Amino acid sequence: MRIIKLDAIDSTNTFLKGISSTETLEDYTVVVAKQQTNGRGQMGKLWEAKTGENLTFSMFKGIRGLTFSNQFYLSIVTSLALYNTLKVYNVPNLFVKWPNDILSANKKIAGVLIENVVKQNRLEYSVIGIGLNVNQIEFNNLTSATSLKECCGKHFDLDEILYKFLIEFKSAYKRLDFGSFESLKADYESKLFRKNKPSTFKNIEGDLFSGFIKGISSNGNLVVLLEDEIIKEFTLNEITLLY
Amino acid sequence: MDLKDIQNLIKFVAKSGASEVKLETEDVKITIKTGSEETTIVQQMPMGQMPQMQMPVAQAPAPVAAAPVTPAESEDSKYITVKSPIIGTFYRKPSPDKPLFVEVGQTIAEGDVLCIIEAMKLFNEIESEVSGKVVKILVDDSSPVEFDQPLFLVDPS
Repeated sequence: MRIIKLDAIDSTNTFLKGISSTETLEDYTVVVAKQQTNGRGQMGKLWEAKTGENLTFSMFKGIRGLTFSNQFYLSIVTSLALYNTLKVYNVPNLFVKWPNDILSANKKIAGVLIENVVKQNRLEYSVIGIGLNVNQIEFNNLTSATSLKECCGKHFDLDEILYKFLIEFKSAYKRLDFGSFESLKADYESKLFRKNKPSTFKNIEGDLFSGFIKGISSNGNLVVLLEDEIIKEFTLNEITLLY
Repeated sequence: MDLKDIQNLIKFVAKSGASEVKLETEDVKITIKTGSEETTIVQQMPMGQMPQMQMPVAQAPAPVAAAPVTPAESEDSKYITVKSPIIGTFYRKPSPDKPLFVEVGQTIAEGDVLCIIEAMKLFNEIESEVSGKVVKILVDDSSPVEFDQPLFLVDPS
């Protein structure tokens, strides 16, 4: 296993994708940066991390065994690995917020950015970027963020958490290699934020509606029970959970 | 010559392997093109059907068929159509403040990233399977795309 440590980089995902185009990388090659100057969340949303306090890294994984219809299992495996890593430290009220944010007591503690490379119409490899708040305790104006230190009141070793995560990820991915789709999905659903609780959502038009999260479909859509026992699936663009 | 005759003629020409047949009688003038050139292009494409490379996981859910590269029809027949392998959102930039991956008129090489299709927060970078020139971009940035929807026309010549 190769771990590349950098002091500062614009984005670990971009860096890892860059080196993967010039050399053949082994699975679980990791790039970890003390500081990310242009860390990204979904489509350009910035991920704010203080130097050296948090774990920001990207991991390389070949995914030729996956098809487009089951690529959401990458999100499932990553979410479960993060969840299980944090669970060991007794982080309170831990949940996976669909599709792949990790929350503790309604605040975001970790975020994921997965980028897949498609060659010849098939999934080739994935660069999985993780931002995990560890020792940062001030989040400026970001009241919706938290960290391990804030949750548990002590300082954590970043390398130790990284190794724990890699072990958890490998073991979850092994289940995927064995084709244990149903059990992975059930596992993910059991950790889903606001599952079976009355919740309010916003649709594309901006209208509010209420419903109960029941789980996910195999391709990753959110399954919501609406009024009159209607069950409907939503893609990420179609629904925002308010909390 | 009625419709049935014309249908039979088309079948016959297609089977013969001829790429083009012109027929002229007093009242009819027919040109039949079988498009065998395009067929050649399709055969060159692996189309993601390489079972020997599949890992055990591939046994599970529905296999994804469909080639993203198939010959375009009608007047654009000399161009190659790049299609979306999945349902998702089409992005022409790596992030909002970055330049476009490709523009119309740009020459691209095999392996160049053409676009991103995002589905459920999974960002799929679509690499080109062909070298050539981008002739047309058929979808607007940030708009939803369906499975198999044409995205780009590429002139491979």
